[in-house]
Amino acid sequence: MIEPLTFSDRIRNRRPLLIIAGIQIVLLAFIATRVMDIVIVEDSRTVVDGVETITLRRELIGDPLLFVLAAFGMVLPLSSTRLRREPVMLLAVQLMIVALLIFVLWPLGQIFVEGFEGTGEDKRFSLEHYQRLFETPMIVRAARNTVLLGITSATLSTLIGAVVAYTLTLTDIPWKRILRVLVVLTLVSPPFAVSFSFILLFGRRGLITYDLLGIRAWSIYGPDGIIMVQLISNIPLAVLILMGVFSSMDRDLENAAEDLGAKTFRLLRTITFPLVTPALLTAWLLNFISSISDFGNPMLIGGGFQLLAPQAYIQRVELFDPQLSAALAVLLVIPALFAFALQHWISNRKSYVTVTGGARTGHIRKLPGWFKWPLFSIVLFLGMFNLLLYGSIFVGAAVKAWGFDFSLTLRNVSGLVIAIRELRNSLFVAVVAGLLGGLIGIILASLVTRRRFAGRGALDFSGTLMYAIPGTVVGIGYIIAFNAAPYLLTGTFIIIIIAFAFRRLPVGLRSGVAAEKQIDPHLEEASLDLGASRPRTFAKVTFPLLRTAFLAGVIYIFIRSMTDLSAAIFLSSARTQLFTVRMFNVMVRGTPSEAAAFAALLIVIIMIALGLLGRLTGKSFVDLFRIT
Amino acid sequence: MTEFATAAIRLENLSKQFKDVIAVDDVNLEVEAGTLVCLLGPSGCGKTTTLRMIAGFEDPTAGKVYIGEEDVTQMPPYARPTAMVFQSYALFPHMSVYENVAYGLKARRTPRAKIPGMVQEALSLIELVGQDEKSPSQLSGGQQQRVALARALVIRPKVLLFDEPLSNLDAQLRVRMRGELREVQRRLGITSVYVTHDQEEAFSIADQVAIMNQGKLTQMGTPIELYRRPADRFVAEFVGLSNVVPAELLESNAEGASVSVFGQEIRSHQPPKDPESPISVVLRPEAISIVSDKDSGIPARVRSLAYIGPIARYTVAVEGDGTELIIDLSNPGPDEFYEEGTPIQIELPKEVPALLS
Repeated sequence: MIEPLTFSDRIRNRRPLLIIAGIQIVLLAFIATRVMDIVIVEDSRTVVDGVETITLRRELIGDPLLFVLAAFGMVLPLSSTRLRREPVMLLAVQLMIVALLIFVLWPLGQIFVEGFEGTGEDKRFSLEHYQRLFETPMIVRAARNTVLLGITSATLSTLIGAVVAYTLTLTDIPWKRILRVLVVLTLVSPPFAVSFSFILLFGRRGLITYDLLGIRAWSIYGPDGIIMVQLISNIPLAVLILMGVFSSMDRDLENAAEDLGAKTFRLLRTITFPLVTPALLTAWLLNFISSISDFGNPMLIGGGFQLLAPQAYIQRVELFDPQLSAALAVLLVIPALFAFALQHWISNRKSYVTVTGGARTGHIRKLPGWFKWPLFSIVLFLGMFNLLLYGSIFVGAAVKAWGFDFSLTLRNVSGLVIAIRELRNSLFVAVVAGLLGGLIGIILASLVTRRRFAGRGALDFSGTLMYAIPGTVVGIGYIIAFNAAPYLLTGTFIIIIIAFAFRRLPVGLRSGVAAEKQIDPHLEEASLDLGASRPRTFAKVTFPLLRTAFLAGVIYIFIRSMTDLSAAIFLSSARTQLFTVRMFNVMVRGTPSEAAAFAALLIVIIMIALGLLGRLTGKSFVDLFRIT
Repeated sequence: MTEFATAAIRLENLSKQFKDVIAVDDVNLEVEAGTLVCLLGPSGCGKTTTLRMIAGFEDPTAGKVYIGEEDVTQMPPYARPTAMVFQSYALFPHMSVYENVAYGLKARRTPRAKIPGMVQEALSLIELVGQDEKSPSQLSGGQQQRVALARALVIRPKVLLFDEPLSNLDAQLRVRMRGELREVQRRLGITSVYVTHDQEEAFSIADQVAIMNQGKLTQMGTPIELYRRPADRFVAEFVGLSNVVPAELLESNAEGASVSVFGQEIRSHQPPKDPESPISVVLRPEAISIVSDKDSGIPARVRSLAYIGPIARYTVAVEGDGTELIIDLSNPGPDEFYEEGTPIQIELPKEVPALLS
């Protein structure tokens, strides 16, 4: 016989309020010492009768405002009775609010503040930098170019993406499996690797333009080049978004239309197209953000074509004008935020294409040959082109001097030894950032999907916000926010890790939310009901079930951190130099073959990470990027 | 499994409001220790929300939940002495049967050495010994249901909560499982609250049935009380197919009342609560008969006929005002067959248990 359990409900749940209050105070005090400090400074110095008297005074340095905000963020969840009753939940919510406040909202806010700081002694509020902005014709031109490029690039990549996605999901073309992988290949390359291989193929000594076609007068450098590179980089995202929609469309809708007499074109116009409009808009907006944020490609292939993101970098790092750079960042962030808000609004509206249980989806339609083969050629061309881009990098790395001497050598590969420290730094930063961002993402996801509390929406929004922020702006924001005492983080690995983790947090968060929504909410309730506390429930039930999403988040953030340039170029220092920054320098200054070896190594690392993902979770890299 | 320290449940003025919907509206309910109470009602009536407030998954907007003498309203679910059996079973898919059952024991820090014995005991109670290393997905629906029950029982809750536990099973298994559930609950004498929308299930399993409608607790009583003396039209119709027919009050006193329905007098021992308001009577389909005598009955005409097992269910229209009545004839003989349109005579019961007002 077994005796009944002897736990006392009373002791277990009436946790003294004192403990909660104690933790709160300790946490607040910790934040206070991190963001503020009191230093002793010299106040005045008087010499009386040869005796020098120095008066000292205490001065508060750091950011009292940040402390006030953090304190406010900690108090806010206290208003929820539900959270007050569960100290661990309360603490988790408070920590998330404080973390997002300090590492997302604060650096972004700093950009706005810095741009309004006058040049005078007292640094009073002033619009002078914005005035300078609009008085500099080069910058006005850069702003116009950025918007025009964004619109052109987003429109073209969305249209081509739609055609490709349609062909790959709903038609009976051959080789679909392999083509599906080939057309989205560039998703996983470092963004500027595409422009680098464009230079290899179409540059001044490009294999195709110079050697094969003998073109001398035309050059890839400039707006045409940027548009082509951005198309190649952004089409995959549009393809993924639209493939998701096409394959979940209820085939009975199209069958019904055909039954009523609609033929191929009428069907597309009256049924298929209206159903995918929300997804088309989403793809357009995300590609617009991606285009205006682009930093690496314009830097490499832009020629004299002025754009905002590179300008913000040049103004700060090369022309030492931080205020103007901040003002530029603001200019850049406004359209991005606007597009992001619009995208958010669209995805929150009811979509026509809802995956209902009974719908029969993903049917293949037999197309007439005159329609099918042109579609097939487009997809085939895109796939082959991507293969060519990757191929040229590997071939480039294996030859003596691209464009001049194509004999094989190992010199470029062995030359990588000089960058071994940068490689180690990058791997370290990317692994830690991946784990950190993945963990925060999964915790945040479980808080915002399952719990109801005041400020939940704000938490979700701040966690997703970084998706819209160009890397350049993140870099500038972090530098401004964290380079003053007492938290001098500039030049450390910590700042890079935190920046990468929070920059890519949105993807970790969204994949966590998606996975959490797949889990029967009763599982967590059953665990609580059986007497497991919230942390125990998270550790034993929620987390194991979210393992796949967590690993996918970690690997995604790892890859993005390994390939990041736009934020890294601001944050890495001589001591913390990253592989991509070194690679970028080699691409600008070294020989193409040396640079190709760098790019090839990076691609191999990414492939290994993706292989690992496949082994651990059974997901392919295409699933990884299916986020929106 | 012995020594269940079971406890009564008391809900006091319990309400729950979601945004602009009042899901549960001022519910007062007492569940005696050791009994099984069914919350019965149509979907959206607030029965599941009530159950979830007992478990602690929802915070009441107003009111209190007592388990035994203790006010648990402010307690998080993991601190309450309740255990729930979910509609979806909610078995942890990444754990074996054994780990599922042991989960609550580990969470409640039961001494390690005791756990295997307690798990085996729980598994033997539900006749699943030897299946402990299987994963839940390898079990049938009925077996999964039993594991969910064992997982809830093993922690010796004071209160067992069932959220439509059988609705994912097929009809035959449902009948068998509800017998088993009832058996285990009786044997252990554990206070239980059972939510269902199935009247037959509720009536076959419960000591007391509480009927809920639009967030309110309409009536609570034993199945037979509810059937015989429904408090209102909703209960009358929900607890079984009924004809609710307007009646004319003839006389009413402390001993009872008599009313006239289609000219026939019907008596009731229970006088109407409010003699001034319009009165109706509940006529069970099996209480109405079809008579051959052309003079004594109420003339009506057959509208349709359906055979439901051994029952012939007639829908007839009373001549004159055309009121439709449902009549069940059990084991009808060959001469009791009437075609559509046939004029017939019907006879109402002489007495009904209660009058609705």
